[in-house]
Amino acid sequence: MNDFSIPGSQSTPAIAGNWAEGVLSMQGDSYPENSFELFGPVLNWTQSFLGQAEHPLRLELKLLYLNTSSVKAIMDLFDLLEEAHRGGHQVAVNWYYDRRNERVAQLAAEFKEDFTFAFAIIGEDYE
Amino acid sequence: MKTRPPQLDQRIEDLLADPAHAENALHAPLQELWQLHRDHLSRLDRITHLSDSFQSMVRDRELSLTERFDKQLRQLQKIARISDRYQEMLRDINDALKEASTHDALTGLANRRLIMDRLREEADRSSRLGQSFVLAMVDVDYFKRINDTLGHDVGDRVLVAISRSMQAGLREYDLCGRWGGEEFLLLLPQTEMEDAMSVVSRIHEAIRELRFAEDGADLTITASMGVAGHKTGDSYAQTLKRADDALLEAKRQGKDCVLSA
Repeated sequence: MNDFSIPGSQSTPAIAGNWAEGVLSMQGDSYPENSFELFGPVLNWTQSFLGQAEHPLRLELKLLYLNTSSVKAIMDLFDLLEEAHRGGHQVAVNWYYDRRNERVAQLAAEFKEDFTFAFAIIGEDYE
Repeated sequence: MKTRPPQLDQRIEDLLADPAHAENALHAPLQELWQLHRDHLSRLDRITHLSDSFQSMVRDRELSLTERFDKQLRQLQKIARISDRYQEMLRDINDALKEASTHDALTGLANRRLIMDRLREEADRSSRLGQSFVLAMVDVDYFKRINDTLGHDVGDRVLVAISRSMQAGLREYDLCGRWGGEEFLLLLPQTEMEDAMSVVSRIHEAIRELRFAEDGADLTITASMGVAGHKTGDSYAQTLKRADDALLEAKRQGKDCVLSA
């Protein structure tokens, strides 16, 4: 249906939503000037997907630094997933991190706490 | 409220229904009164029902508000916790960058930038409080030969060992920095020349006592040093120049010695 893609910048992550594949991906640092402007469409897209689509949704994340309002936006996004998951929609999060930066994994684990849907924290070796 | 005897309702219904009393003068008013009574009853029921549902609605809303409030509170706490950790991460990165920008990667000593900062501070302090400081410029003798004959790996190891030795010989508030390739600068704050010379001479001796076994050959390292005390009113650049001149003179006189300006 409707796909979207926002190119990344120094202060904002690259974000893309693929309806047919059921994948929402985000990668990079996130300290936008206006996080509602950036994440509003992402939350709307996710809400539509979970409301209309029948197939599973998977989040592919490679997020490094998040400022406070970005942390809030990601948490809102996970809350949507949790609600959908409890309603029987299949959802999953894959959070990738550079094995040399173990702290990103610890932060992802903090996010994961309290959520009951599939949430994998996956270490990778980057060059 | 006083309750009616259970049979009363039925008795009145029966009396009103009995055709024998249809002509009774009381029949019509009783019929009206009975109807009025039933209307009142049903209205009372409706009011009670409305009032009950209103109360339970308010209670439900309060419950859901409390629930939402608790949920938001939990989310807020989580956000704050995570955000704090991101900040910690940034602060550590910041510290690492600061360390990298003020220290020499090979030896871990202060780099030239940090030395210059400290020199400025000490010169300011000296002009304000009249306290003196001493600088010692250190140059490793024949270092180029070590690099050329034994390789840069050995050269690097020698520099690291000398750095450790010098730091071990200094006092806590002294500063040892890498000035350039095989040149080091020692900064001894609030120190008179006589005390400084004994510290520097000890360090000079300690370097000579370092032992490196490379390719079976024992390697002895020596250093030349030029020492200068800061004179109140001078710029630190002038003091630096005097220490450098003393070092040059030490080298000219055959190296492996400490000279003061």
